[in-house]
Parts: sequence; structure tokens; C-alpha cells
Amino acid sequence: MLLAACGRSERMDTLYAQRCRNCHGPNGRGDGPIAVALPTLPPDFRDTVERKSNPQIRRVIAGGKGLMPAFEPALSPAEINDMLQMVRFLSREGRQISWWEKFDTLVVAHCSIPWEAVLGYEDPPVEKKL
Amino acid sequence: MSSLRGWGYCQLGLVFFSNFASLAGAANAPHTALKAVERREVKRPIDDFSLTDQNGKNFQFKSLHGKVVVVAFAYTACPDVCPLITAALRRVQTHLSNDERKNSHLLTVTTDPEIDSPMVLAGYARRYGAELGGWSFLTGDEATLQSVWKNFGVGVKRKARGLVDHTPLVAIVDRQGALRFAYTGPSPDVKLMLRDIRSLLPDG
Repeated sequence: MLLAACGRSERMDTLYAQRCRNCHGPNGRGDGPIAVALPTLPPDFRDTVERKSNPQIRRVIAGGKGLMPAFEPALSPAEINDMLQMVRFLSREGRQISWWEKFDTLVVAHCSIPWEAVLGYEDPPVEKKL
Repeated sequence: MSSLRGWGYCQLGLVFFSNFASLAGAANAPHTALKAVERREVKRPIDDFSLTDQNGKNFQFKSLHGKVVVVAFAYTACPDVCPLITAALRRVQTHLSNDERKNSHLLTVTTDPEIDSPMVLAGYARRYGAELGGWSFLTGDEATLQSVWKNFGVGVKRKARGLVDHTPLVAIVDRQGALRFAYTGPSPDVKLMLRDIRSLLPDG
């Protein structure tokens, strides 16, 4: 199954604003207005998302985790994919050039198709050693 | 008797103080910090109702007559304060002694029957570690639920599939079936709820 390129669409923004921003914050830093009331602060996407495969993230969005609600069956598979891409997008926003130099090839790959389809396994490869 | 009207609505983590007619106005609320929970003492009889529990079995409210009942309104896909409310109820259940559990019961009534089937509610209950002997998760048809929501003074407005604005209410009903304490807001104080529940128990 092909995913759209790593852009950011209005539909993704709307989904994120309606369903994620309260806890995860406007930029996925874990600083939404409800975050302080949670027993555990939501993660900063920049610290966690790049190490997760698409199926792993999709499982969390669909099935929930901790106090995070399960968005299946409320959302369609296409909407869950949109959320997944938005999470990926926010995890890369504001990165330094050095980060992109390490990951650019892989980012392009999994912006086009899921990790497992390109690489043959679910988990993303480890960071390149310089 | 205190009126339940005029309570706030839960929308994107905020509580608005408005009447039911202005519910739609909450949809474009700005993001600010969480508001405090409002606690009210009331005394108003609650009408009997019949819904379906997480096992797909019929549930009759009057079957709990003689017990203190904590009733929360929430829905499983809620990206707002419902998780905080359900987590608070879980903590209440954990802190009740065995004797207190025998004389009390928790209810979570959905505000989104379109999504919250008994199976979905059963999964939700499992995720929160609810002890189902003393906690029922209820759904039903829209018309029946409308009358239950109205009975408790809960406003509900569907915004999209799996996205609902509703009054974030936790109500405590006494052993005679009268609403006695009402908490409106994102994260009710567990110690305060336990105190109120215990005040209505036989030895309270």
C-alpha cells in the first residue's frame, strides 16, 4: 500500500488539531493543554517517532496506549494513515541540517512507501555511523 | 434544589460556563490551561433507565437501588478530558474497601453510541483495568441515551464521527436514587469523591 509523499495536508492538520493537539501540543512536543494533568507527560515526537516503524505507530493510534484513546473504529484506515504521516511530519520539523544528512535517504524512502515494504522488515534501520 | 443548567462543557480540554443553547459556540474555543473542576451539592431524583452493558446485557438503573452510584459521562475515542475522568474513577474503585464496594457501583455512560458498541466499551474497560463486578459501561440507542443525558443535565453535541462535545460530568447518586453530588470538569478530585461516596454509605 502506497502512502502519499511526506507533505502536510489540511485534512492532516484538522485531524491532528481535533484528536491529538490537546495532549501532544501544537508541534508534537508533548505540551498540549491537557498534558500537565496526565499521569505521564506525552513524549516529544522528535525523541521517539523516528525509532518506530509505521506499523508500530499505527498500532498506537488505532489501539491507544495508556490514557491515549483508541481511534479505531472511530477513524477510517485512511484517516489513521493521515495521523501517522502528521506524526512523522512533526517529528522532523525544525531538525538541524546534520540530522537530515544522517537520515535523508531513509526519510525519502519511508515518505514514499512504508518501511516494511522498502526494507523488508518493520523496524527502521539504525542510524548511520559517521 | 440546584439546577444543573448553566454548567460548562468540555471542549478541547476546556470548561465553558454557558447554558445548553450555547453549546455550539464552544466549538471554536481557544486553547488555554485546564479549568478547575466544579463540585455541586444537589438533591434531585434520577429517573430509572434501561441501557446495554459492555457484555451486551440489559442494564436497569433501578437494580442499583440501595447502593451509592457514581455515574460518569464519557466516550471511548474522546481526545479530551474523558480519559482523565475514567482514570479518576479507576482510582476511586481501587481505593474503596471491599465493604464499600459491596454498597456502591460505578457507571460510565457513553456520549457517543455511534462508536461505543458493547464490544468497544468492553475493550475500553479492559484498558483501564476496571473491575467489572462493580463498574458497568453502558450504551444504547440514541433516543434512550438522550433521555438519560437530559435526566442528568448532560449536554451532548456530535461534531464528527468519533468526536463529541459533552458536559464532563461525574455524578454521585445516593442509595435512594437521588443525585447528590455533581462534579463538572476535566479531572475530579479522587479524595473528594471518596469522601462524598462514603458520606452516603450506610456507615457514612
